[in-house]
Amino acid sequence: MWPGLPRTARLLRAFVLCVLLSHTAAYFGLTGREPLVFLPAPMSNEPPSGKAHLKQCEQLTLTRRQKRLCRREPGLAETLRESVRLSLLECRYQFRNERWNCSMDGRGSLLKRGFKETAFLLAISSAALSHALAKACSSGRMERCTCDDSPDLQHREAWQWGVCGDNLKYSTKFLKNFLGQKRASKDLRAQIDTHNINVGIRAVKSGLKTTCKCHGVSGSCAVRTCWKQLSPFHDTGRLLKYRYDSAVRVLSVTNAATGEAELTGSRRQGLGPRPTDLVYLEDSPSFCRPSRYSPGTGGRPCSKDTSCQSLCCGRGYNTALRHTALSCHCQVRWCCHVECQTCLREEEVYTCKQH
Amino acid sequence: MTVCHLPAVDIPELWKTSFRMLLPHSGLSFSAFTTIMDCRHLVITITFLVFFTQAVVEATSWWSLAMNPLLIPEAYIIGAQPLCSQLAGLSQGQKKLCQLYQDHMQYIGEGAKTGIKECQYQFRNRRWNCSTVDNSSVFGRVMQIGSRETAFTYAISAAGVVNAVSRACREGELSSCGCSRAARPKDLPRDWLWGGCGDNLNYGYRFSKEFVDAREREKTYQKGSYESARLLMNLHNNEAGRRAVSDLAHVSCKCHGVSGSCSLKTCWLQLADFRKVGDALKEKYDSATVMKLNSRGKLVQVNNKFNSPTNNDLIYIDQSPDYCVSNESTGSLGTTGRLCNKTSEGMDGCELMCCGRGYDQYKAQVVERCHCKFHWCCYVKCKKCTKVVDQFVCK
Repeated sequence: MWPGLPRTARLLRAFVLCVLLSHTAAYFGLTGREPLVFLPAPMSNEPPSGKAHLKQCEQLTLTRRQKRLCRREPGLAETLRESVRLSLLECRYQFRNERWNCSMDGRGSLLKRGFKETAFLLAISSAALSHALAKACSSGRMERCTCDDSPDLQHREAWQWGVCGDNLKYSTKFLKNFLGQKRASKDLRAQIDTHNINVGIRAVKSGLKTTCKCHGVSGSCAVRTCWKQLSPFHDTGRLLKYRYDSAVRVLSVTNAATGEAELTGSRRQGLGPRPTDLVYLEDSPSFCRPSRYSPGTGGRPCSKDTSCQSLCCGRGYNTALRHTALSCHCQVRWCCHVECQTCLREEEVYTCKQH
Repeated sequence: MTVCHLPAVDIPELWKTSFRMLLPHSGLSFSAFTTIMDCRHLVITITFLVFFTQAVVEATSWWSLAMNPLLIPEAYIIGAQPLCSQLAGLSQGQKKLCQLYQDHMQYIGEGAKTGIKECQYQFRNRRWNCSTVDNSSVFGRVMQIGSRETAFTYAISAAGVVNAVSRACREGELSSCGCSRAARPKDLPRDWLWGGCGDNLNYGYRFSKEFVDAREREKTYQKGSYESARLLMNLHNNEAGRRAVSDLAHVSCKCHGVSGSCSLKTCWLQLADFRKVGDALKEKYDSATVMKLNSRGKLVQVNNKFNSPTNNDLIYIDQSPDYCVSNESTGSLGTTGRLCNKTSEGMDGCELMCCGRGYDQYKAQVVERCHCKFHWCCYVKCKKCTKVVDQFVCK
């Protein structure tokens, strides 16, 4: 490298390069600068071996430290893929009626900017990851963690009755280690990303509910066993969508007392953003036309009375007639299957015009 | 260079108007223009202007009836004949109809004006807001492109004429028609009376068809040319507009039994409020179908998997031009200077309206009526309040 330079100059350059590289974001592919890769499911005709997870760890886009953690824990690779799938589905579901519908194209360029959509992506990915980890622990798919063993509830008793609480404590601790968030980072973008990731994790935490099972005399609630269980991921997704709708735009100012940079909202909004608010840097573009951030809204299916107006951005819509076959007139036959007839139904399908 | 002195003959009025239209901002007058050019150049220039003018004159339309302060009916009693030839923008067939039905002209103008106003209301939040450019071609060169907006404009103006003429018939303003003689609808309950004086929808429909379509029908174009496609498109859209009015006409009743009870009811056919016609046509605009000319000279759908348009739907043949920037050749005025709504996500929001160019913020004083009080008897008196609001204007 760098032939023809004096030795000191070469050393200096190498040093600078090392410093730069160490400061680049060490994030997992979900939350990092690379676009998400939807990995194919592993081929089932391979004999199950203990080494399969190593190959999976290599396939994911991880940093070296994360790869090491992945190799140590056999169930982690599967959990990571599960969380990616979960976050993608949930994101698409929540944004199905919006102009930006969380499609895979343009995700890379979107992650480089500080839009509201980037904030949501980070939050939902981290929420999915912590949800999947906690569920994996309680399902026994991970080697290093098991059921929730927080001392405040009678978990030993719960385990006796066949119930395993979701281990959110391990999940949160593992995530902090895995994502490697530096606390005092001066970069505004890194601060915002950290904040949004924490919003996602908090959203999952807030969904932790105590569920009880009654097993007293003839099923009464004289004796019950309670444990903590995570709410379904849909609820977390809905909460994060609500946070997205009320996201706060921020800029960074240096705290005169401590000399540290902290996030504040714009002057009109009073105090800074709360720990549960999503924050963003710049206003999003309208995702109407194809751009490097999204494929545009042309060809999107919409509903004539409600969403076509806003989705199609004034371009109008095309109407097509579609024949769908549905099951109808279903009857239960003893015992125990259901027989249905097939009904043909004609319905009108509206798709946004391209231009 | 020898200066060319033209003999003192009648320079045709056409040349003078074309000259004025082409060079409006130059301070030159026609005579000054002729004195500074060589004779040969002058002849060439005048020939060029004549040919060019034809194309410009072509763009005028019967919509101009809406713009000029018309036409008091009394004028028709006194030496009515010259008025028809003075009306700019009418085609040959329309001029003949004008001479036959002179009292209808005022209502055609009103109908066109209603149509234009409704068009401006429906499009107030979009980039092209149906603005009128001048008094002769009304919408400018934008109408020469067969886009969705053109389709809507043709439909709504035909609908406006139906509306105005039908109303005028009912009010007895026109000599050749009277109250509606429509048949009693079959689903009317038996003991309701059918009568009253309904809007003469039938006559209005037929007259609008004759008058508005006259311009399209009197020309024949070569099969397969763009003009023939435009002709078919205009005819279809005019029909769609008229049908929108007739489909929305409904039965309206009045109770006049003992002390106003509904024991006795008289019903008649009434035209819908024109706002409803505008809303219906706006929906048709959203779902308009793009067509192209096939080898036999008929309009067919470009994409067969979508539903084919019925006689009630609007069709168009060209893509809409870019209304974001001002462009002389397409006639688009651009969106610079338009008001936009900062909080809206729709087409009137600042992001879409200003096409990403950004906006300026101004504080404007808005005067509105407030503290209104009813005085006996019977008027309302309001005070004027001024309010300072933020206005956002596109760059």
